[in-house]
Amino acid sequence: MVVKGLLYTKEHEWAKVDGDVAAIGITDHAQDQLGELTFIELPEVGKEVKQNGQLGAAESSKAASDVYSPVSGSITEVNEELKSKPELVNKDCYGAGWICKIRLTDKDSLKNLMDAGQYEEYLKGL
Amino acid sequence: MAVRQDEGAFEFEAEVQPAKGTVLYGEHLKLTDKSHIAEFAGYLMPLWYSSISEEHSAVRQKAGVFDCTHMGILEVGGKEAESFLDAITTNNVSALQTSSAQYSYILDAAGNILDDIIIYRRDKDKFMVVVNAANEPKIKAYLSALLTGRYFTAEHAETAEKEQGKFFLKNWQEAVLIRDMRDTSSGPDCRVDIALQGPISLEVLSKLTDTPTIEKAEALKNFTFFETNFAGIDCIISRTGYTGAKVGFEIFVHPDKAVELWRRLIDAGAIPCGLGARDSLRIEAGLPLYGHELDGRYDISPIEAGYGWAVELEKEFFVGKSAVEKYAKSSDMKVARIELPGEKGVRPVRQNDGLIKQGVCIGWVLSSATVGNRQIALVYMEKGKVVEGDSIGVYYLARSESQKSKGRKENVRRGDRFEPDIEGKIISRFEKF
Repeated sequence: MVVKGLLYTKEHEWAKVDGDVAAIGITDHAQDQLGELTFIELPEVGKEVKQNGQLGAAESSKAASDVYSPVSGSITEVNEELKSKPELVNKDCYGAGWICKIRLTDKDSLKNLMDAGQYEEYLKGL
Repeated sequence: MAVRQDEGAFEFEAEVQPAKGTVLYGEHLKLTDKSHIAEFAGYLMPLWYSSISEEHSAVRQKAGVFDCTHMGILEVGGKEAESFLDAITTNNVSALQTSSAQYSYILDAAGNILDDIIIYRRDKDKFMVVVNAANEPKIKAYLSALLTGRYFTAEHAETAEKEQGKFFLKNWQEAVLIRDMRDTSSGPDCRVDIALQGPISLEVLSKLTDTPTIEKAEALKNFTFFETNFAGIDCIISRTGYTGAKVGFEIFVHPDKAVELWRRLIDAGAIPCGLGARDSLRIEAGLPLYGHELDGRYDISPIEAGYGWAVELEKEFFVGKSAVEKYAKSSDMKVARIELPGEKGVRPVRQNDGLIKQGVCIGWVLSSATVGNRQIALVYMEKGKVVEGDSIGVYYLARSESQKSKGRKENVRRGDRFEPDIEGKIISRFEKF
């Protein structure tokens, strides 16, 4: 499932931009590939991240995947609920399973991301 | 770690070939998304259909069916079949009764494990040997090299020990015939493996067979089997498996009948299970996987893995015996099973994470799985340091650049000092369900 209005990376993260802040998560394809998630490593609030820099990690009992930042900026908020309920990422990866929010420092970098249509095409080619 | 001699090691380089689907591949595509199918041992196999935890529970509470048609199945026949198998496997083949099966190992002359296998005695001079899919090309090459005298030549035999010499000088080719039971050249004798495992397996089977067959299946003891025909399907029904289920069968059928059997088992209530559940079930039961708890990075011997009973040192000769006798005594390590917290939100332990006792690394994690709200791991650790019930910790290795940059190590050695990240306890080596 791909949601319209979000921006996507080749590493299967999404960003939902609202003014200067972007909410970040992993895509349905990513959660499906990982299987039942048991642990989400969250970034630290206040930390600066570069586009494609490591944000955290998502782990199931059989697989682990690093989560990279779709945007450059500083972390303003993390989804604390994932600490005890990583399954929210499986159940609702574009909603309750968001990972963090980032205040954008370089809006130009958004141009490097795919829109929903492009991401859908990209998935077909995998 | 076992100290091995290099002399006599069997060298084998497998040809890399594109992964292929099993005879049940079309069925898998109907039952799960293609994204849940992955390459395993040269085959495209389902990782899961619904989820690993649901399939795991199905096998513990009801019954699951597994595509094991990728497993290698070889027939060793001929008037010297028994003495040949006795000479090239570690367990006692001459003591194996017809209609019984035996867990065993194939070693090379250096004592390296080439595979762990199950030998089924179908008749006095007819054996079926089930080998790991990943090892099948190597085992076939090895057996062929032994039969044709290419592994050890007469020259080697002169310098080798007496019994070894006798073995390698013998002309096995005349009296031993090896067939690949999954190759079309075996015609109607072809067989592939489908496993049915879990407490209601007999009920499932009763929906597709007749009463005499089900009575025979019910009467089977562990590691025994019978050959039958039901509804036009010739098969071998064996009370064996790889899940730790007290009730479970492996059914060997002709590949042309595999789809039919698979569908009928599912229609009768068996839940299709993928490689993920197969792994979590065998880990929970304490069963070893070649390359993890046997051989592999830590070069683990059958004896360290807890299978000394399958290495018959009383036997006059088997390939690798003198090497085993040496390393059996020298090892100070063993495989154990531990449990750790595994609720949602707990970082899972992984292969090669450090095992910590009183701040010191005494071994490593080999395999692990989440089962309910626990993690069960098989570990390789120093003997005599801890016993069942004792607490044990695990140090997570770095799994990303950012963790490395924070000082987390990428590997740990015995004796290194670490504080554990998570603590659990040692539990019994094996468990039945």
